[in-house]
Amino acid sequence: MSQLDQAFFALADPTRRGIVLHLARGEATVSELVGCFSLTQPTISSHLKVLESAGLISRRKEAQLRPCKLETEQLKAVTDWLENVQEIWEGNYKRLDALLAELKQQEKRERKK
Amino acid sequence: MKPAEASLPSDTEVLVKRSFDAPARLAWRAYMEPDLMRRWCSGYPGWSMPVCEMDMRVGGKYRWRWRSDENGQEFGFFGEVLEVVLHAKLVHTQSYDPGDTGFGSMGAEPSIITVTFQEAGGLTNVATTIKYASKADRDAAFSTGMTDGMEFNYKQLDDVLAEGCKA
Repeated sequence: MSQLDQAFFALADPTRRGIVLHLARGEATVSELVGCFSLTQPTISSHLKVLESAGLISRRKEAQLRPCKLETEQLKAVTDWLENVQEIWEGNYKRLDALLAELKQQEKRERKK
Repeated sequence: MKPAEASLPSDTEVLVKRSFDAPARLAWRAYMEPDLMRRWCSGYPGWSMPVCEMDMRVGGKYRWRWRSDENGQEFGFFGEVLEVVLHAKLVHTQSYDPGDTGFGSMGAEPSIITVTFQEAGGLTNVATTIKYASKADRDAAFSTGMTDGMEFNYKQLDDVLAEGCKA
């Protein structure tokens, strides 16, 4: 799997998305994450491995507790894309809002007749 | 209404959700009637939708094309209707035709688009799932939609990942 492939795979899991959001607030150790997610340490560790091989997080080698840190470069590629998807759809949806308001008015007028 | 939310339910799917202030029967019409569809689905600014042909019965075909106001270049989508549940669900295939724009490439297999309509308290929640036929097709869509020069920001992260925040 390419790293981008791994990033998509990693982010398709709700627990891993939760870990990423947690790390967006700052570094955290495995035991801190275990406390936050009420999951076992092996479960959290396996999620962290997936995130690490996807290049979404790194773990400091020098510190004994090996805190996890978010790596934003790979994440940015995916979130930029999703953001772009959101923007394109939202442009259409704003016009749909206006169209639906018009259709509602039309229905109201027809009922009065 | 809250802006559209895009997320990744699996590694080959994108889910876009949005609520609309209208009953499901009206949202449904906007997706099923070509004259209504082309009024809102005109896409990027600077583009018009000269072709919007739709036969929205199971097995029916549709064809949408957009044209650049600036240079007349066109691209489009086409596909076949797979499932229709009145006011509730629409499933169709979707193939991309880059036309003469050179935007991205066409995947070998069509994507599957599922749109669900759920009415609650006068609002309609519309959820659109785009399922790419393969990772290669997803990557093709990915490279087509890339924007440059944006700084990473955490607000954006919240938007696109919020659904998974269980902590």
